Amino acid sequence: MSPASLPNFVPAVPEIFLAAAAMALLMLGVLQRAVAVGEQVRISRVVTWMSVLALLLAILLASAVTGTRIATFGGMFVNDGFALFFKVLALLATALSLVISMGYLERHDIARFEYAVLYLFAAVGMMMMVSANDLISLYVGLELQSLALYVVAAFQRDDSRSTEAGLKYFVLSALASGFILYGSSLVYGFTGTTNFDVIARALDGTPVLGVVFGLVFVLAGLAFKVSAAPFHMWTPDVYEGAPTPVTAFFSVAPKIAALGLLLRVVTGPFGDLVQQWQQVIWIASVLSMVIGAFAAISQRNIKRLMAYSSIGHIGYALIGLAAGSRDGLESVLIYMAIYITMNLGTFAAILCMRRSDRMVEGIDDLAGLSKSHPVLAAAFALMMFSMAGIPPLAGFFGKLYVFKAAITAEFYGLAVIGVLTSVVAAFYYLRIVKVIYFDNLTDALDRAVPKNLTFVLLGTSAAILLFFLWPDPLLASSQSAVASLLGG
Amino acid sequence: MTEIGLGHYVTVGAILFVLGVFGIFLNRKNVITILMAIELILLAVNVNLVAFSTAMSDLVGQVFAMFVLTVAAAEVAIGLAILVVFFRNRATIAVEDISSLKG
Amino acid sequence: MIIEAVTFYILATVAVFAGVMVVASRNPVHSVLFLVLAFINVAGLFILMGAEFLGLILVVVYVGAVAVLFMFVIMMLNLDFRELRRGFLKYAPLGAAVGIVLLAEILIVLGGWSIAPEGGQRFAAAPIPDGLTNTDALGRLLYTDYIYLFQAAGLILLVAMIGAIVLTHRSREGVRRQRISDQLRVRKEERVEVRKVPTGRGI
Repeated sequence: MSPASLPNFVPAVPEIFLAAAAMALLMLGVLQRAVAVGEQVRISRVVTWMSVLALLLAILLASAVTGTRIATFGGMFVNDGFALFFKVLALLATALSLVISMGYLERHDIARFEYAVLYLFAAVGMMMMVSANDLISLYVGLELQSLALYVVAAFQRDDSRSTEAGLKYFVLSALASGFILYGSSLVYGFTGTTNFDVIARALDGTPVLGVVFGLVFVLAGLAFKVSAAPFHMWTPDVYEGAPTPVTAFFSVAPKIAALGLLLRVVTGPFGDLVQQWQQVIWIASVLSMVIGAFAAISQRNIKRLMAYSSIGHIGYALIGLAAGSRDGLESVLIYMAIYITMNLGTFAAILCMRRSDRMVEGIDDLAGLSKSHPVLAAAFALMMFSMAGIPPLAGFFGKLYVFKAAITAEFYGLAVIGVLTSVVAAFYYLRIVKVIYFDNLTDALDRAVPKNLTFVLLGTSAAILLFFLWPDPLLASSQSAVASLLGG
Repeated sequence: MTEIGLGHYVTVGAILFVLGVFGIFLNRKNVITILMAIELILLAVNVNLVAFSTAMSDLVGQVFAMFVLTVAAAEVAIGLAILVVFFRNRATIAVEDISSLKG
Repeated sequence: MIIEAVTFYILATVAVFAGVMVVASRNPVHSVLFLVLAFINVAGLFILMGAEFLGLILVVVYVGAVAVLFMFVIMMLNLDFRELRRGFLKYAPLGAAVGIVLLAEILIVLGGWSIAPEGGQRFAAAPIPDGLTNTDALGRLLYTDYIYLFQAAGLILLVAMIGAIVLTHRSREGVRRQRISDQLRVRKEERVEVRKVPTGRGI
């Protein structure tokens, strides 16, 4: 065994940069002596803005280093167009989540610089997840992300609901990780390798029962991470209990990273077991759509409603994966890009819901919003229309591509269930619009809307509203991402 | 029965895994035992990995087991930290109380 | 051969028994102690399989750190153990049934392994080398081929450290701390004052 030659670091430069930036910002925060309370807020603000900057720089770096598919570190890490697509989305989502968190943290007295640093580490974990090409790097990336998420869920440590959310998320997520690991150990035992490329080679021919069993365990764990039914139980509780900006973050960035990982796992190493995983994904998709649609109807809390809404949206995205075709995969990517835009916009609007400087979360608190805050009300309604899939907003196109892919692949049942559940879901989205525009103003929300929220709200609204004029960039990038995933 | 092979070891792994899963559902109120049950699951995974690794004389499984060990230790630290802050707020660690979020 | 078999059965039986007691014992302190017992026996199994480094690491990390951490937290939180046991038996029969089914399924699946060994060896990425100790062989892999994961594991430990501090650390008011830099910066003039004291009068 001779000493190995130095691995090629270039494909991993964005990750290395972001990890180094996170550590540097950690040092910056620690070495500042925060004696006065105001001082702590100032340091946290500086670190947060620098983190946003670091995330944007990482996006630039990621776009710069990706060309063709390169595997490095002994084939454990792979960088390709597919990884780039998901990295850009995950990093953008993380950056915007940080932007919308700032006011909230300061108002709730939890403005500490570690918050932004943990977001950065979570982002590094997400990048490692979508670039994973080995069962071990899958696990390590996933855990890096998850550990940071457990902490931010419980970040409001004097609030019992937040710590409760953190505890609940931790227990169930650790169980899911255990399932993924046990499945990985079976896959390793029955194929003799942990590398995705080699697993794919080992699996051509008749599927071994042990590998199928392992795959089911891994899929169950990943379904938990994307909060697809029947592994969605944690979602409503955690979304409701966690601090609102953290909920916004949970509903976008980790979800997109876990979905990217799921797509890579099922199409790469287990591409030959398509018949086996297709059934699992089919069931998860139908259950998620149905639960997302029906359980949301009776909700009174907007964050809980958004949890069920996100379960439903994952169901729609999984339709494209169940279809298994190239069109299907592209539609998943498009759907997720639109989904995170809508969700960030909606959460920016939810974060504006304050009354006498305290957050309110009830749907009824929105009554008469159109009279007190016309612009906010219009943006909120726009997001709801888009989520419901009303043309010509972006949400409609997301659903359209997914359903089209299902029909082309002759999954008529999925398409029909999808359309039916979107009609049901449209009911509760439109109910919010009704509350905003037609219910009587009882007690107005606070007038002042912070600048950072306005910025995100207007940006996402414009993207949702004008998507139909200029859809080509998203379509083209999703096409090239899927092409690089499927190798050519 | 006297020839000890892979089958024996992975059986131990399987039993420990099932015990861990079983323990989580059994002790729904007691978070600290749930955390220990999660440790049992990870231990089962390690038994599996090492058993497969030696049966195939391939070291990758042992390397994997080492990372599982490392991450598990980190996970316990975070889990117990969250448990401690939860206890400070609630003065209990019972999970069924956690259903205060249901609504 | 016989000695190996006897050792295996002793270690395996105790490990499984301890596993049962971890989830079933009435007192979390007992659970932790049984967890330690399970870890030590599994460490014995690892050594029996020839993975002696992992076996010893298991003892060091789990018994030395994780179990102690558990014990620490249990002692720190003043828990009412009886309260936690209520409803325990409610789920036991259902849980046991599901558990046995799951176990049977896994064992059936694992029983199919015998066909795979040739397949396994075909892809072995890091065959166990001859003439090296287990520790040596692992070390050579870990710091070369697996450097990426090694660094990532370091990040995970860092996050765990940050997380534990962020969540539980409280800066207390009114605690006197030693500030070494202040002590070193002290000059003679600040501490010692030389006064001329005239005889017969006070200062």
